[in-house]
Amino acid sequence: MAAEAVVAAISDVEVMKASQIGMKALSAAIAVGSTGIAAALAEMAIGSAAVGATAENKDVFGLVLLLTVIPETIVIFGLVVALLLIF
Amino acid sequence: MLTPEKMSRLLIVASKEQLVSVTQELYRSRLFHIEDYVVDGREGYDGFSIGTPLEGASEASGDLVKIRSIANAFAIVSDDVEPVSRQRQADMKKMIEQEFPAVEREVTELNGRKAKLEALIKEYEQKINEITPFALIPTDLSMYSGYERFSVLAGYVARNVAIKEPAEYRIVKGKTNLFLVAVVPNEHRGDVERQLQEAGFTAVPIPAGSGMPQNRIEEYKAQIGQARAEIESITLNLDAIRQKRTGFFVACEEVLKAEVEQAEAPLRFATTDQTFVAEGWVPAASAAKISESVMKATGGKAFVTELPIGAHDVVPVEYDNPPFAKPSQVLLDVYSRPKYTELDPTLMISIIFPIFFGLILGDVGYGLILLAMALALRRVIKGEEGKYLITVLRNASISSIIFGILYSEFLGFPCPWSPVLFSRHLNIGAHATGHGPKIPELMILAVWIGILHITLGRILGIVNHSRQDHGDHRIKAMLANLGWILVMWGILAVIWSIVKMPIMPDFTGMPAIVSGLNTTAIIGAAMIVVGVVFIARDSALEIVELPTIISNVLSYARIVAVGLSSVAIAMVINYIALGMMIEPQLENLTLFGVVFILMGVAVFLIGHLLNTALGVLGGGLHSIRLHYVEFFTKFYKGGGVKYNPFGLKRRFTED
Repeated sequence: MAAEAVVAAISDVEVMKASQIGMKALSAAIAVGSTGIAAALAEMAIGSAAVGATAENKDVFGLVLLLTVIPETIVIFGLVVALLLIF
Repeated sequence: MLTPEKMSRLLIVASKEQLVSVTQELYRSRLFHIEDYVVDGREGYDGFSIGTPLEGASEASGDLVKIRSIANAFAIVSDDVEPVSRQRQADMKKMIEQEFPAVEREVTELNGRKAKLEALIKEYEQKINEITPFALIPTDLSMYSGYERFSVLAGYVARNVAIKEPAEYRIVKGKTNLFLVAVVPNEHRGDVERQLQEAGFTAVPIPAGSGMPQNRIEEYKAQIGQARAEIESITLNLDAIRQKRTGFFVACEEVLKAEVEQAEAPLRFATTDQTFVAEGWVPAASAAKISESVMKATGGKAFVTELPIGAHDVVPVEYDNPPFAKPSQVLLDVYSRPKYTELDPTLMISIIFPIFFGLILGDVGYGLILLAMALALRRVIKGEEGKYLITVLRNASISSIIFGILYSEFLGFPCPWSPVLFSRHLNIGAHATGHGPKIPELMILAVWIGILHITLGRILGIVNHSRQDHGDHRIKAMLANLGWILVMWGILAVIWSIVKMPIMPDFTGMPAIVSGLNTTAIIGAAMIVVGVVFIARDSALEIVELPTIISNVLSYARIVAVGLSSVAIAMVINYIALGMMIEPQLENLTLFGVVFILMGVAVFLIGHLLNTALGVLGGGLHSIRLHYVEFFTKFYKGGGVKYNPFGLKRRFTED
């Protein structure tokens, strides 16, 4: 009886460990995925305005490219969080 | 090398009699960047006005417009034409006078005839469309019109309909729906129309003319065929002219363009009744040569002097880079040309950009594909900018091959040797074994690159401020840049004292001095405080920007992230194509298996093709973005005016 209980407990611990790894992977995926969506949403509006501005005046290209990629910071933070979670 | 080419400001004054010879000389030398004279009441320019074009300007520009319209019709772009032999300008002028009018007339006539025929074809096609529904009813077309007491209705109906009023009508099945033709007495027309309306009637026009519809259609088709044949012969004719005359057209254009530009140059000079003043910029090295040649051309009847460069002068900028760095000027021009007083970062881009590209797309296979592509495109692409871009791609692909050897990667497969640089091999597939990628090391490598790149940017910022600013602000701005460096390295020192990380110095073992902080942490904190003070002294608002230090450095993590995603895609393609489709079938070959293997090969080829395209986009865009956003914002403003010397680079003609 006792031996069976111990085996059951060990397998319970293993299941828990595995599920913890799964949760980590899932959290990392959420971190990258949701920040990716957020960055995309933010860049959507800036990007279309930037293309419009460039069409009117080519000289602003450098500046608008800069403005367009500012929201990318969000997804990079997401990536860093994800990597910290996994490693 | 790190600065734009030095310029001198030249002032040329002479009597109007010398206008032609001075203009010609300047045009020939192709060194003088004219500063357009603007009537703005500048001191010392009272009584000056803008000059008038030289004689023959309007004729030449008229001819130029004609030449260009023909070249346009033939889709001749002079940049795409390889010069065969150079024509003498005097010969060309004679040819323009004698031959060009005849050629122009011929081309205009042929083009006019072609347009007329095309319109005719449209008209016939329209007529065929009108008659086609009537072809189902074998009745002469003349029967449909010319009645006084009857009306003819024709059109499509949605469903079969029986007209109650006395009328002659036929309903036939058309291609998609029912077609109806009805001849009704005028007095019943209203009733019939109402009935038809209920059946969903849409009227079509009654075709004019006579004859059986089928015959008419055949006739029109024959006429269209004739017109097409004639168009074809005209096109052949035009092609022959194009073949024969391309060299003539581009040479004409060049001669006339040169003539027009020279004739219109006085519009950019300041003139009085008797004299003119030309102001402009020349590279400092050739200033003496220009003044000498102008003096020689005018027989000493001109006054040429060098003016001092004022603080607010807009000096045109010409790059001054070693040959291997020249192609990268394209990347800088996309952002903005440097100002005259600014450092020119082209050299740094030309070295660092390929390294970043290689770090991201470090794969021998993809590198070889891109190298082959670059070498092939070199032959096809013409024009300086295009050639430069191809050279940038070539350098990047060579770097990609080198890093591929270091990473030990070939199209996602590991090479026989183990990676010299940190491994990026992922464990993909059921049988995958091995250590897997060394993510932490790679990430920290990327962060190191970021720290060094940004520090370099800030140092360049110090240099730029010391060159551009004056007085109190100069010192403050330089210290602010130093402050940013101090804060960044201070944060780094504090982190070193707390966490132990691979390929970073480890100071965690040092004994704590005050409240758990060791020496490194205290030095780091002091650096941060001093740095913040330096930044705040220049502009207190900049304090808000402090978090960008972290986000900018972490932004370099994309080097690893984008690179790993490219490796992952390559490995997945290999696994699907080889591991899942080809290898299992090879063990037990059947006819069905052969089909499956072919599919696997297709997956392999298409997949790697797509990944190559993604690799170029990812590697190129992200590398250049790191330069534009993270590197340039630290020191570079741009906005310089391009040095555009008066003159033409002759390709098809000579003086």
